[in-house]
Amino acid sequence: MALIPWTGRTMPAATLTSLREEMNNLLGRFWSTASEPFGLAEWSPPLDVSETDDAVLVKVEIPGIDAKDLDISVAGDVLTIRGERKEEVHEKGRNFHRVERRYGAFTRTLTLPAVVDPDHVDAKARAGVLEIRLPKKEEAKARRVPIKAE
Amino acid sequence: MANTINVPVERESGHLEPPESYFVPATDIYETDEGLTLVAELPGVKAGGLEVTVEENLLVMRGRPQSEAKPDGEVLLQEFASGEFYRAFQLPADYDASKIQATLKEGVLTLKLPKSERMRPRRIEVKSD
Repeated sequence: MALIPWTGRTMPAATLTSLREEMNNLLGRFWSTASEPFGLAEWSPPLDVSETDDAVLVKVEIPGIDAKDLDISVAGDVLTIRGERKEEVHEKGRNFHRVERRYGAFTRTLTLPAVVDPDHVDAKARAGVLEIRLPKKEEAKARRVPIKAE
Repeated sequence: MANTINVPVERESGHLEPPESYFVPATDIYETDEGLTLVAELPGVKAGGLEVTVEENLLVMRGRPQSEAKPDGEVLLQEFASGEFYRAFQLPADYDASKIQATLKEGVLTLKLPKSERMRPRRIEVKSD
């Protein structure tokens, strides 16, 4: 957060507002990646998002997460991915030397750059990466505008 | 002899040079009576993009995720690790590195090493006359 220059006079109202906005942004980031209250939010998998003229492509890193433990839902231009990485418990009496993998439930909400057609969303998992293709709704597709020269 | 904890120690190997820049895959390491298991997350990695070597109990895993020929469209968010990955562990002598088993499935690499024979608890039969 940048220091607000002290001008030696009464602080103008605009400067105070930006301070408050900055605090809101800071706190907002704690809540943005999970719907759980602060303290319970744990982890969420990395995402790659790209956009073409007719679709939005979202990739999620999901090694060790079963397709049945994933829930993808779309409402308008908001994509919600919920899932859980469960611990593999086939061996008894495991003595851990190192734990770096993240386990448990996660929720990731993403505002998409365009309104998509929820009926034609395609999702497939490959080598631990979930690829979601969300086709844009007709009216959301980019359309080149011809420029007439006078 | 007291039971000293022998834990795989991470290190950058000597002659098996790590690449210039690389990312480090998240790895769990645990031990059971059977032996040692390492589980590494390698999203987007297929068998052709992975190399696991063991030399004198130094375990090295390296490779890269398979990537598309060209990225599709305009990139809006990029949180995936990219490029080459590399990780090396010095395995304790208790484990027989020559008997390592490696399985890569859906982006998860599982490496299993059995305890070397001499380290397995052996029941000694007591004969009585």
